[in-house]
Amino acid sequence: MARRYLMNAARSTKQGQQINVGKDTPEYQALVTTIVMHPDDMREAGIESGMAVRVVADNGEGIFYCKDGKIPQGMVFVNYGPPTCRLMGYVTDGTGMPQSKGWEVEVFPAPGQVPPLVGPDSVKPQY
Amino acid sequence: MGGKVSATLGEIKNRADFIMYWGGNPAECHPRHFTRYTLIPKGKFLPNGRKDRTMVLVDIRETASARAADQFLQIRPGKDFELITALRAVVKGLPVDDALVAQTGITTETLHDLARQMKQCRFGVIFFGMGLSMTRGKHMNSAAILTLATELNAFTKFVTLPMRGHGNVTGSDMVMRWNTGYPFGVNLSRGYPRFNPGEYSTIDLLVRGDTDATLVLGADPGATMPQPAIEHLARTPTIVLDPKVTHTSKLARVHITTAATGVSAPGTVYRMDEVPMPLRPALKSPYPTDEEVVLKIIEAVNRKAPFAPRAESMMRTV
Repeated sequence: MARRYLMNAARSTKQGQQINVGKDTPEYQALVTTIVMHPDDMREAGIESGMAVRVVADNGEGIFYCKDGKIPQGMVFVNYGPPTCRLMGYVTDGTGMPQSKGWEVEVFPAPGQVPPLVGPDSVKPQY
Repeated sequence: MGGKVSATLGEIKNRADFIMYWGGNPAECHPRHFTRYTLIPKGKFLPNGRKDRTMVLVDIRETASARAADQFLQIRPGKDFELITALRAVVKGLPVDDALVAQTGITTETLHDLARQMKQCRFGVIFFGMGLSMTRGKHMNSAAILTLATELNAFTKFVTLPMRGHGNVTGSDMVMRWNTGYPFGVNLSRGYPRFNPGEYSTIDLLVRGDTDATLVLGADPGATMPQPAIEHLARTPTIVLDPKVTHTSKLARVHITTAATGVSAPGTVYRMDEVPMPLRPALKSPYPTDEEVVLKIIEAVNRKAPFAPRAESMMRTV
């Protein structure tokens, strides 16, 4: 069984700025499709900085780019955005909000893959 | 459980000599918090500003806010409730199990030192963020921290505030509270308000597919909610009022462009301490305000005949 990491989704200043610039800009796309891991965790998983990875959570999965950063071992950091909507659970336990942080995920190298478009065109009206 | 001992940010600026952030990263998410209200400003009873204040940060990772803290306590993920409970015990002078405390990532000595600082300050405040309220334990974590602050008032003055974000979320809660008695998750379908988070809250309604139309005001659920909720918004008629094209407007049937509140539309915004602030628009906009659009929708709805289901549609054919 693959090692499970704790995914810690959060906000950042850059992400907040980009929300006001536009969520379909390349800068916003780059921010929300990049995860940060501890260098030792990346080495163990066979991931190089800048490589595409497949992140699998209990509720869904997605393709992200991975870079190393100052983060505790066993944890994955990501900015909130449309890609995290696919990983987030939807059970609110009677509180009205699902758990927005601390999901257990598995991370696999996915060289050559590209995170899908997360802009407004990624979801179409279906009625 | 129940109740919140609180204060305005002005009171905190003028009095708070012990400031704790738990599960929040104000340096990134509330960049003006330190400089306007908590750490830096000189207060009426804190003439030396930063030098008169102590700041403790509790989080699971070393964020940008840690650089501003006098003490950074890195705790283990998912152990907030346990740590708050142990801290409550230490504050009351009760014994705690060293091994259980160690599981939180903090030593018993550090915990005793923290409790001492909290009891000895003149005015303490705990700000808690989504790192506490949206992780394992959720509302129970929030209840525990509110209780801790309440109990500390047996020793000194202590208050607590959630680090609210995203524009006017506090205002939405406040207006719902005046009007219905409840802050969110209110069902008015019977003509009187009923409150039940988990049943009437937005994400639950959308994920279950209970709604057949949605009006979105000042939000972008298409970029923030769980995928099943987004898919339901795309399946059913959705109307968005927003100054910009958002993820939600792309999946909506109707997008009405409105003036940006605070920039080109007047209004009232509530700060995280629930103090209302009037907004005076700086620019003119060719677009209507959210309020004008909603009033026109109400007018149009009122012109329609009241909804009454036909009797035969209520009967089952066997």
